[in-house]
Amino acid sequence: MQTAESGAGRPPLLEARGLSKRYGATQALDALDLAIEPGEVYCLLGPNGAGKTTTINLFLGFVPPSAGQALVSGMDVSTHDRETKHRLAYIPEQVMLYRNLSGLENLEYFAALGGKGSLGRERLADILVEAGLERDAVDRRVSEYSKGMRQKVGIAIAMAKEADALLLDEPTSGLDPKASNEFSALIERLRHGGVAVLMATHDLFRAKETGTRVGIMRYGSLVTELGTDEIGHADLERVYLEHMHD
Amino acid sequence: MTARTVLRNEWRLLMADRPLRIALGLFALLLVYALVNGVVWTRFQERTVEAAQAGNVERAQALAQELADIEAGAEPASRFSDPRLPNVLGGARGRHTAVLTPGPLTALTVGQSDLLPYYYDVNIYTNESSFQQNGEVESPLNLMVGRFDLAFVVIYLLPLLVLALSFNVLSEEREQGTLALTLSQPVSARGVVAAKLAFRALLAVGMVLAVSLVGLLVTGGFGAPGRILLWCAAVVAYALFWFVLAAWVNSLRRSSAWNATVLVGAWLVLVVVLPASINIAAGLLHPLPSRVQMITAQREASNEAVNRRSELLARYLEDHPEMAEGVVAEEPGLGALAWAATDAVNRRLEEVTAEHDARRAEQIALVRRYRFLSPALLAQEVLLDAAGTGDARFAGFQSQVRAFAERWRDFFVPAIVAGEQMDASALSRVPQFRLADEASGEVARRAAVPLAVLGALLGLVAAGAGVRLGRVRGAT
Repeated sequence: MQTAESGAGRPPLLEARGLSKRYGATQALDALDLAIEPGEVYCLLGPNGAGKTTTINLFLGFVPPSAGQALVSGMDVSTHDRETKHRLAYIPEQVMLYRNLSGLENLEYFAALGGKGSLGRERLADILVEAGLERDAVDRRVSEYSKGMRQKVGIAIAMAKEADALLLDEPTSGLDPKASNEFSALIERLRHGGVAVLMATHDLFRAKETGTRVGIMRYGSLVTELGTDEIGHADLERVYLEHMHD
Repeated sequence: MTARTVLRNEWRLLMADRPLRIALGLFALLLVYALVNGVVWTRFQERTVEAAQAGNVERAQALAQELADIEAGAEPASRFSDPRLPNVLGGARGRHTAVLTPGPLTALTVGQSDLLPYYYDVNIYTNESSFQQNGEVESPLNLMVGRFDLAFVVIYLLPLLVLALSFNVLSEEREQGTLALTLSQPVSARGVVAAKLAFRALLAVGMVLAVSLVGLLVTGGFGAPGRILLWCAAVVAYALFWFVLAAWVNSLRRSSAWNATVLVGAWLVLVVVLPASINIAAGLLHPLPSRVQMITAQREASNEAVNRRSELLARYLEDHPEMAEGVVAEEPGLGALAWAATDAVNRRLEEVTAEHDARRAEQIALVRRYRFLSPALLAQEVLLDAAGTGDARFAGFQSQVRAFAERWRDFFVPAIVAGEQMDASALSRVPQFRLADEASGEVARRAAVPLAVLGALLGLVAAGAGVRLGRVRGAT
């Protein structure tokens, strides 16, 4: 087992060490070093193709790294697929669910896959409501849900799993401001519960509001890293745009 | 845990999918219709066999009564149907019908039982033409395609249901976007696909086996557990072959439409084109003499012998003018001559049919050699054999009838040639046909090879699918 000590002797929940990914001639990610502790929300900013989604896919084990390591609680994702996935929850840009099933049935299924099959229907329904879904929507078919409602089911799946770390890939893309705001509030709650969050996003405002740190990526490299307490909205936008110019 | 979770989810998805429920309902109706067909045929066959066996008893009793009456002084109804004459007692009047009882699982697999004869009237005139005229002069593969029975549904329609249930088992998850969320959980794509396919297999195979069970209950076919096991093994192995093929195609990570096209193509090749091609090859490489030619040759042989017998009879009567007023069959010389002519016909017929039999044997050998190319042919062979409605059991029956006919002739012909008369005591010594049916072990030995090959094919494809699915880590 690969471990890296940090903080009070425990390894970071999420850690990238020289993490690289090459697709043919394209260097999608180049020697990324990153460590995210419990209670941190790390926002990856950058244009399309910067390597944000690749980073998340590497932590999920969806693609093997070309070099380096993606570690979850000190365990290498490549060699500890099951163990690391027990500690991770993932919310993609589009939470796609079984359309013919209800939100609750979807949650039951994914929670059981995640090892939380013992949670009863009532508890799961409560989690859906905690995630922001209306009580009367819980038993409706997902085919009737809006994107925002599906995202909430995605959050409920993550909450039910009680994962140590949360990987979010453009989670507020396409959400209306109210839904985005609710989403941010939920992330904030999870953060306070000690969850480590890695979020890939284009939304500078949301990154500043939700994140504790932001990293700006370009051409597969992390070009700068900032604490959100150190910087205002306007400064973040300025720094971001500076790095987007050659 | 994963398997149970997936199975439960699959059940929910099925319950929420109306078109799929309708498809399954239609398949269930087809199964029931096929079973009814099989049961109706089995009942008909049972009635026919019972009637034939009752006929044997009735004829024997009538002849015994007539012989007793004659011994008591009564005159025979006709001099030419006098039961004391061995050519009458061993001929059509005293014939014995040898029957093959329906196979234990005929209701499930009618097979060739509606094409090949399951009873023969045996008498001293039984010869090769008796077997040829009752048999089908046809390719062995064509003989396999018979009634709409459960075996037909299993071989031709079950794969289509399996493909409808599983062509998109993984691709749909990817296309609808649920795969990413699924694989972000501590599960493997291989495990999820295996559980999903297990649910579908339980559904499809369970329906077939449940209907089969009903068929066995209705027809009382539980007396042959070995055959039932073989039948079930063939159904399961064949269905699983199509499931793992669907898994393998899904592991190629193409679109659902692509998967559907490839799998339907595979069905067409393996179930329709390959068997038909083997059939055509058998016909081209080992063509059977035409049926018309064979019948013509048989007739010529008969006519020639009959003409020869007339010549012999004419010569005999010239030598014995006192007999010209009325032919007496009990005259020793005439009986011997008559039998000599019959025997000549038989020998000529054996020559005529030998070529046909040889070609047919070559065709069967060719089909058996290349049946390994098609899982459908392998499964069909086991289903027919297990049911007792395949080639082997009928060939065994025909062979026993031939031997019985030989014993029958051996019993009566010496008396015919010697011009002897028979009495009622002869009836108790007349040979009886007792079928020595094939044992389950013998059937199992025959079925072992096709089942093993089917299992090997299944294992090979499953291993390929397993390896490829093991590499599926992400949603793309």
